[in-house]
Amino acid sequence: MIFRSLTSVKLGAALAATMTLTALPASATECIAPSNPGGGWDFTCRTIGRILSELELVDGNVQVTNMPGGVGAVTFAMVAAERADDADLIVATSTVGITQIAQGRYPAPLETMRYLAMLGADVGVIAVDNDSPIQTLAQLNEAMAADPTSLVTAGSSGAGGWDHIRLLMVAQEAGVEDLGAIRWVQFDGGTDAVTQMMGGQIDVVSTDLGEIAGFVESGDIRILAALSDEPIPAFPDVPTAVSQGVDVIGYNWRGLYTGGQVTDEQYAEWVSKLETLYNSPEWQEAATASGLVPIWRGGDTFEAFVREQAQVMEQISRDIGVIE
Amino acid sequence: MEILSLLGQGFVVAATPLNIGLLLMGCFIGTLLGALPGLGPVNGVAVLIPLTFAFGFDPTSSMILLCAVYFGCMYGGRISSILLNIPGDEPAIMTTLDGYPMAVQGQAANALAISGVASFVGATIAVLGLSLFAPVLARAAIHFGPADYFALYILAFATIGGIAGVDPRKTLLSALIGLLLATVGLDPISGVPRYTFDSFHLYDGIEPIVALVGLFAISEILMLLEMHLKDRPKAIPVGSWLPQWGAIWKTRAAMLRGSGVGFVAGVLPGAGASLGSFMAYVAEKQWSNKKGTFGKGDPRGVAAPEAGNNAASGGALIPMLSLGVPGSGTTAVLLAMLISLNVQPGPLLFERQPDLVWGLVASLYMANIALLILNLPMIGIFTRLMMTPTWALMPVVAAVTFVGVYGISNSVFDLEMMVAFGVIGYVLRKMDVSLVPLVLGLLLGGDMERNLRRAMSISDGDWSILIASPISIGLYILTAGFLVLSVWLAVRDHRQTQAERLTEG
Amino acid sequence: MSVRILGVAIFVIAALYTRQAGTYAVTFGDVLGPTVFPIIVGIPMMILSASLVVFPTGQVDWPAPQRMGRQAAALAVLVGYTMTLEPLGFPLATFALIALIGIILGGAPWKAVVLGAVMAPALWALFDQVLGLPLDFLGELFV
Repeated sequence: MIFRSLTSVKLGAALAATMTLTALPASATECIAPSNPGGGWDFTCRTIGRILSELELVDGNVQVTNMPGGVGAVTFAMVAAERADDADLIVATSTVGITQIAQGRYPAPLETMRYLAMLGADVGVIAVDNDSPIQTLAQLNEAMAADPTSLVTAGSSGAGGWDHIRLLMVAQEAGVEDLGAIRWVQFDGGTDAVTQMMGGQIDVVSTDLGEIAGFVESGDIRILAALSDEPIPAFPDVPTAVSQGVDVIGYNWRGLYTGGQVTDEQYAEWVSKLETLYNSPEWQEAATASGLVPIWRGGDTFEAFVREQAQVMEQISRDIGVIE
Repeated sequence: MEILSLLGQGFVVAATPLNIGLLLMGCFIGTLLGALPGLGPVNGVAVLIPLTFAFGFDPTSSMILLCAVYFGCMYGGRISSILLNIPGDEPAIMTTLDGYPMAVQGQAANALAISGVASFVGATIAVLGLSLFAPVLARAAIHFGPADYFALYILAFATIGGIAGVDPRKTLLSALIGLLLATVGLDPISGVPRYTFDSFHLYDGIEPIVALVGLFAISEILMLLEMHLKDRPKAIPVGSWLPQWGAIWKTRAAMLRGSGVGFVAGVLPGAGASLGSFMAYVAEKQWSNKKGTFGKGDPRGVAAPEAGNNAASGGALIPMLSLGVPGSGTTAVLLAMLISLNVQPGPLLFERQPDLVWGLVASLYMANIALLILNLPMIGIFTRLMMTPTWALMPVVAAVTFVGVYGISNSVFDLEMMVAFGVIGYVLRKMDVSLVPLVLGLLLGGDMERNLRRAMSISDGDWSILIASPISIGLYILTAGFLVLSVWLAVRDHRQTQAERLTEG
Repeated sequence: MSVRILGVAIFVIAALYTRQAGTYAVTFGDVLGPTVFPIIVGIPMMILSASLVVFPTGQVDWPAPQRMGRQAAALAVLVGYTMTLEPLGFPLATFALIALIGIILGGAPWKAVVLGAVMAPALWALFDQVLGLPLDFLGELFV
């Protein structure tokens, strides 16, 4: 009986909440996910927004706004033009966004924004179907070096995007010269690519581990290499590329930026709030649950890291031939 | 038998007072959102995500709430299609073709009842399919490669000439305009912005819902304004408040056929509910349009696409749950929701979290029954809506469509584009150009192009990949058969009318 | 005649569209590129619209000038709404929209005004309060 009245209280409260949810002390804090609902940036905003208000680091709720377009370019342009000094605004970004900037696909340069922190990273992996004749990264590299056109590779980014670049970095290390000859197919998500691989349409997938981990556990696909410094805690048996003599690291970190004209004090306040959030068990749990490795870089360290990564990315894109 | 016991367990999980309450609430909100033009399942589900977080519901309860909203939207979308000739959401466009003519003839109650029952039949068949064959179907669907998807879209567009309109050239042109609009925006494969005129607003392409409400709702206002004030119907006569059960029973075969076609479309990841309702309508028209009544208020033209639409939405849950591949925009949101609740859909979900899966399946059965019970008594209320004089009804409809669009994108640019689509829609309607193919082209064009390009990337530029698999060959044979049959039927009808004229003359 | 003009208009758009498609360069690692599909769409569009110019079907009766005036007024209100929504905020702009469109559609002015005065706040409450889609109550002018 107690249980029942508890649930009905909960339900009544839920009904009331639909009426009053927005009447709660409205918070001015807003997180823009520059994509549609679903996907990495949306996850970043919704999870961080939820935990920020749970930990009472902000007043009330964090309003999450989806502003898709141009792999983040639309939001970037809007913040630069209209909200450069709005300290209540944070925007989700990741390696994918920085890659776009480095390739000149955003309307303004990197320095337009102030980069707050990265809170976690997804690990890039190279995977094949479980029935594939290719058993190791060495065999894959051998096959690619012998005939770059022999394999069909795929991932969730377009040609020249981060998934594609990570694969080409591996191929370059393996001594493949004609990188453009490797066939690359874009899919809308890592899972789409993996299921197409299971259906026999493509041979190799390069993407983030988080989304496709279930297929590794079920034994449908096999990871040839994880592009991380250390073996992944969830899959300790999976060898890293580095341990196989292929010196490629390919994380997809998740982080946030804010407008370029936010004051130093406001910037520092955000960085310290995010550090508190990063150290909370709530974030550690949410991040691990969605396949992220929690990694902290904040403030000036992160600014420097982003700049360096953009330079590296530009150089790689140029070497590989993605940009001229 | 194992499935039965699992399902029984599911009912135990689902049938708690909290879950049943959430289920009813979700059904009601979903129907409302679906019925309001411009608001659809994607918004509904997105709106509810913060709520489930705020109350810390467990994943099963959250999923039940969201799926009830999802199914509710699919039921609700048809209401404004039938009553206002304005689709409530994308999959409901096919229902305007025969639903609105039925309403104009005073059969609104029947049309609503038929579509309600058809939704129930379609959704129930899909949930049955989900509970019996989900893993098998998911494993079969992965063999559908990019070239096969392209063949499927070719089939869809080849048959589009048959859906509506007097002149097939105009219908095809309409579809091509839709495909043209689908190429606007940043190309996801190469990253090149196409036809954006350097405006960042167009980088994300043209949102189908903006085009949909502009083309249908704004153009409807312009159509009404050109009628003589006194000619304009104050309200459409309503023949009867209550549906006639005999009329519903007569459409049973159409419902079953529509469900079958829709379910298959739903199981294929990426095709989704719009393609499901479209294919169901075209197939039904080809099958049973012997007297040329389709497009003029044939009840089967309401039953088939509604059954197809709901069967497809149910079917889309199969790749979503067992592979983690979203079959449509809405299932993409559900998927994100699951992941943020720490549930990873994929090959292991059925083994690892049977409570969640079977609780969800059980709640879908319950949601269907709840929706049917909720919807049938509402028919009387909805038909009364048609008594509202035009001057009062249309301004409010216009306001709702503006909010629907603005509430999602926060973009005034989208509102301006919506008005522009209204003018385009008006001009095209004046020229007897059906707007339905245009919206379908816009909805499906992006995937059609991407799958063509994926196939060509796989083959490294060899076009023969398009006819290299048995699936695609089968689809092309079906397309050819369809076209031959259409021509043959057209010739036969033409001869018959000629013969009749001769005997009369 | 109208159908012919429409045919010409679509033909011109399709031709420009197809020509523009040719300017999109094939980038690295993308076999078919962004060019081919628009051409596949553009060419049949040109053929079909040209055939409409040569063999038009259907009669179009355009409304009398006075009614076209009413349509223009309605469009002006709709465009005005898109421009005033953010400065005025949702309830005020929507009040004007509902009242004016109601009058243009032939409703008695006082009834249309009452309808707007009731429905605009009601819709705001429904969307902002119940459904949680944020809409500004007062616009930028009042901040």
